Amino acid sequence: MDFENRQPREGINTTREHPLKRFMILLGSAAVLVTVLVVTLQLAGGWIARKIPFRYETMAIEQTSLELGSERPPAELVAWLNQLADKVSPGLELPADIEITVNYHHENVFNAFATIGGQLVFYRGLLTQMPNENALAMVMAHEIAHVLHRDPLAGLGGGLSSMLALATLTGQGGTGAAASLLNQTGLLTGVQFTRRMENNADTAALAAVNSVYGHINGADTLFVLTGAERDDSALPQWLERFASTHPLDGDRVRAIEKMAADAGYATTGKLTPLPAEYRQWLNED
Amino acid sequence: MIEVGIAVALVILGYIFGSAAERRHFKSIIKRERELNRLAAVATRFPPEDTAWRQQLVTGNVVIASDYFKTFTASLINIFGGKVTPFESLIDRARREAMLRMKADAQSLGAEYIFNVKYNTSRISQFGAGAIEVMAYGTALTPPE
Repeated sequence: MDFENRQPREGINTTREHPLKRFMILLGSAAVLVTVLVVTLQLAGGWIARKIPFRYETMAIEQTSLELGSERPPAELVAWLNQLADKVSPGLELPADIEITVNYHHENVFNAFATIGGQLVFYRGLLTQMPNENALAMVMAHEIAHVLHRDPLAGLGGGLSSMLALATLTGQGGTGAAASLLNQTGLLTGVQFTRRMENNADTAALAAVNSVYGHINGADTLFVLTGAERDDSALPQWLERFASTHPLDGDRVRAIEKMAADAGYATTGKLTPLPAEYRQWLNED
Repeated sequence: MIEVGIAVALVILGYIFGSAAERRHFKSIIKRERELNRLAAVATRFPPEDTAWRQQLVTGNVVIASDYFKTFTASLINIFGGKVTPFESLIDRARREAMLRMKADAQSLGAEYIFNVKYNTSRISQFGAGAIEVMAYGTALTPPE
């Protein structure tokens, strides 16, 4: 009997295609897929969320036992913050069914945010740095504008559905690296939406501040302050501009200047001081 | 962002070192196959009965790890479907290397044929390592002394 082994021919069990060619096609397709998915879900999720009547937001927040502010906040401060909210609200043409509640949190965090049900949270860290009422009114009007635009719920709807979709997709995707890359692509797509929300809130807030005080002097204080804090960012500016959830502080200051020029708002005017007891209230905590 | 940077760097490193290792391995496989082709390894279970062959089990075993580039590309293919070409070359190398090691084992015994050749594979995925084991085994026929 005669047996033989012949030399296997190359290219039958393996491909002759360059590995990078397929890799590039796959990477491009995956990026397009994730971007389209997140854009669709952000738009659809945001659209559906904005169709939900506001009273359901209020009901939802009432049913959760979420503690938004500190347990025993300085009562006068909270009352004054709520008065300030009432003062700027007419400038935002807030519908009657939307009620704003301002909460105070004693942590020294430089932040304020709006969440569902018209609940705003102001941190001590931000309040202590406010030099006058005008600066605080801009932040207040900005957060109320988020409530007016239904951004907290839209963000939740769009963000949550995108997150679920990405988790399902990358769960199928295998290794950690591919999953992380696709998630980052999804996040980067998502932040384009949050930045738009921020810009819209700035525009509405600026109009409100102008209608209350007759000028917008002091409105850019927050961004000047945060800009000074974030000066040491490790990322190049173009990348940070693209990857941040919020527009860059310098961009916001310039945008405010442009909006003021376009709308004819006065940029100078008398600044309203904070109440005499303001610092004392903050120190009570 | 740092995560993405690390992933990109690993993919590039995986591609550079993985491709170089693969090219070198295939070169070595082809060279050794040419040398060992004269020792026939066949799948039939019925050896020639004209000689009282000495029969011994011979094995060849190899474990080859995937590189970061291959694993990454394969995970992208997982989304869209299709041939997992990055792993095809990996498996091809493993199978051929296992066969060569089995033949080397048989050659050291002075065998003339290997009969009833079979392959066994298993996946090693513990500790995040993407590696494949291929074992080739068969019955070496050595002429009687």
